[in-house]
Amino acid sequence: MRIEGAAVAGTGMVRFDRYPDRSGAQLARDAGLLALHDAGINLSDVDEAFVGYIQPAAMIGVKAMKELGLTGLPVTHIENASATGLVAFREAAWAVASGRAEVAMAIAFDKMTDMARNAPSRGSGRDQLDQTILPAAYFALWAQRRMHDHGTRPEHFAAIAAKNWNHGALNPLSHRQPDHTVTVDEVMASQMIAEPLTAMMACPADDGAACAIIASTEWVRRHQPDRRVVRPVSSALQSEAYSPGHTFLGPVVGPATMSRTTAQQAYEEAGLGPEDMDLALCHDAFANEELEYYELLGFCPDGDGERLLEANDTALGGRIPFNTDGGLIARGHPGGPTGLAMVHEVVTQLRGEAGARQVTGARRALAHLVGGGSVCTVNLFEAD
Amino acid sequence: MTRVPIEPGYFTVPEDPTDAPRLLGSRCPACGATFFPRRQVCASCLHDGCDDVVLGPTGRLWTWTYVHVPLFAKKNAKVSAYGVGQVDLPEGPRIQALLLGGPGDFEIGMEMILDLETLRTDEDGNDVVIMRFSPLAAPGTQQEDGA
Repeated sequence: MRIEGAAVAGTGMVRFDRYPDRSGAQLARDAGLLALHDAGINLSDVDEAFVGYIQPAAMIGVKAMKELGLTGLPVTHIENASATGLVAFREAAWAVASGRAEVAMAIAFDKMTDMARNAPSRGSGRDQLDQTILPAAYFALWAQRRMHDHGTRPEHFAAIAAKNWNHGALNPLSHRQPDHTVTVDEVMASQMIAEPLTAMMACPADDGAACAIIASTEWVRRHQPDRRVVRPVSSALQSEAYSPGHTFLGPVVGPATMSRTTAQQAYEEAGLGPEDMDLALCHDAFANEELEYYELLGFCPDGDGERLLEANDTALGGRIPFNTDGGLIARGHPGGPTGLAMVHEVVTQLRGEAGARQVTGARRALAHLVGGGSVCTVNLFEAD
Repeated sequence: MTRVPIEPGYFTVPEDPTDAPRLLGSRCPACGATFFPRRQVCASCLHDGCDDVVLGPTGRLWTWTYVHVPLFAKKNAKVSAYGVGQVDLPEGPRIQALLLGGPGDFEIGMEMILDLETLRTDEDGNDVVIMRFSPLAAPGTQQEDGA
């Protein structure tokens, strides 16, 4: 959908890490307060909230909201697997664009470390049949097929991972903070998880929370006259369209076509194209995904992803930097909050406040996530 | 020892362990599209009312990987590494499943056959089995379980 009349009033996030002694609600409170402070308001100014998480529990979203206050505002839970945070953002943006809210909050939190610990023994026989294969294996299947079809080498995936680790070193809010320049050799030498993917090509399991406040553009201009205004301009969300070769059992994160058609929809609705983007954030839970998305999101022709990578076009300083904040691989991927961490990075970049990792003159950005099940969302942003 | 499926409705468990199991699928009477597992509404043309069919047991390997971390839902601590693949059945469906064999045994395009692996013994003493594929023409090549 095209989004008109909405702008980001504030963002905030708790650095993704392992927080064994803090609840999801506490993490949400801290991220929520950062975003509210960034917007210069408190919860009494928020007309509606969308709370995202993927951890398996009921009601915890509305309970977490109580940490920020009990004002009677409408609260809706959002769950769309890894895409949850961006989908919560989409709903909050639409609540504002539709006119039903002047100020809306998208907030998400998760403790992936708890989920990883608790998941293996649960579930019926059907669940076990469905969950026997790990997400890492699913994406490795994709990587193997890519190598077969295009002659891609594991070193290509390692180069993407090293790039994102090194981007993370420039982001104080990145989970992974390498104290040296990460090399392709180092990534290749790390523990093999699912051939050809090594541990350093995969996102960490971590905890965290992130929040964005969306308000009418007039509200943001009135309350933040000295700030560069960042607006969402389109948001596309698709679930999978059936095609032969769809696997119904086991982890499903969608075939190639879903990211392509979702991106095309977002571009068309915004009247923009990939050539208009200054940076892109994508679902790099595993490094080989990013290579595919260079092509699927329209930044190069099919089969040219390796060339784009080898030219350093997707690193900071390149033509279209990807995952400037370290991506899921370095910044982290707790689940629900991941998409709102992307919004935080987009807003930081488009405001020109990204410090050592600033993309010079950045004015437009793309944020993409896929989620298991499967879904895909692509969101385009523009600054004044 | 009686073998029972980890979940009924997905694959047959032949009484003779040397017989290959079959997958329980669906075929749309309106458009002919074939699916695994069984479903009522055709995913291709949305016709309500697919027919039950039996699929397999052979197909071609579309892609594969070999996983070096413990099995997620299997609760079999002895298995430290295992193959995973997607197999295209001649009837149409692509099946994502465990593979039998070592990391050097798989090649995209090779012919695979379905069989069953015992996961554990249940409280009644039955062997609980899950489906998996293994390379078809592989006598003499290494067929270790990766255990």
